[in-house]
Amino acid sequence: MTAMRPSPHDALNRWLAAERDASLEAGDAADVADAALREVFAALPQLAPAAGFADRVLARAGLQPATRDVFASRALRLALVLSLIAVSFGALWVPPAVRVLARLWTLSDAVQLGVRALAEGSRGLATALRVGEWLFALGRALSVPLMTPQVMAALTAGLLVSGLAFRFLRDQLTGERSLSYVDPLG
Amino acid sequence: MVEHVKTDAELVAGTLRGSQDAFRELVVRFERPVYSLVQRMVHDPATAEDLAQEVFVKAYRRLDSFDPQWKFSSWLFKIAHNTTIDHLRRGVPETVPLESDEEGRGDLSAVLADEGAESPAAAAERRDLARSLERAISRLRPEYRQAVLMFYAQGASYQEICEATGLPLGTVKTNLHRARRELAEAMTALGWGPGETGKARAS
Repeated sequence: MTAMRPSPHDALNRWLAAERDASLEAGDAADVADAALREVFAALPQLAPAAGFADRVLARAGLQPATRDVFASRALRLALVLSLIAVSFGALWVPPAVRVLARLWTLSDAVQLGVRALAEGSRGLATALRVGEWLFALGRALSVPLMTPQVMAALTAGLLVSGLAFRFLRDQLTGERSLSYVDPLG
Repeated sequence: MVEHVKTDAELVAGTLRGSQDAFRELVVRFERPVYSLVQRMVHDPATAEDLAQEVFVKAYRRLDSFDPQWKFSSWLFKIAHNTTIDHLRRGVPETVPLESDEEGRGDLSAVLADEGAESPAAAAERRDLARSLERAISRLRPEYRQAVLMFYAQGASYQEICEATGLPLGTVKTNLHRARRELAEAMTALGWGPGETGKARAS
């Protein structure tokens, strides 16, 4: 059963009323406000880190190795069991498959298949080399007009400006921020 | 038979003698207050976990410099304060809680929303209040936020805040007073206060 927690609203209202109540002496108002605000916070349970925090601290301090139970995950255990079942069923098919292959294939068949695979592989390699040669020629043709001093200067300037812009943006995002307070509500 | 609960000082002494169990007990004892403080400062559970771990690791490595005349919690909160403020000063952008963060585990919205014990309307209003408070706290400057969280959320005394932050008593009191006023102004601007519930927030 969930226990009913005291509502923090009453305490919140008392705190805010004390802050604006001019009839109270400054010290009294501060005491009332302090007490009420503590009540608001007391209604909030403390946050807790994820389970195993102490173990992680000890491991980080070098006091014990961080051990992780790889079988802790139910999904992983299930996947492992299914894989083992699949492998077992597969293993049942291995001997008959080997027998069938042995009957179907002779040594000359195997040699013929090997030679054919070698020929196909060589043909594929030759095609790949031709494509590579063509790409190389294309790249060389495209690079010729870019090698002029004007284009090189423009490229260098572009790279420089991009680099500076990137650095400026990075500084803006991660640079040391001033801790002086600016009221976002003001 | 009543089990003897070791004091912080005994656990510190045990840790210094090399007992891992003693250090583990210290971590377990203080993980919630330290994590709560850090999480409400940085508003990001992953960063809070990392920083809270760092706090305890630093404490472990510097334990021989701990003066037993201090309260251990004050010393630990001082490390937490420095670690968190250093992180914020490094300029890592803070995560601002989204208004639509309905399921944000670990923030005030989540812990205030106790729908099982309330009517849906009351639960919604409680959640609304929690979200507003979260926003108001996140708008305080870090030193004010730290003081508010330590004084009101952790129940630390003025003296403990002085020891943790290294600030004189007068400054701590002034910071707390101003922080409370700013928090009240922010909450009022968000539509909270006697006679204003639901008015400004509805607009």
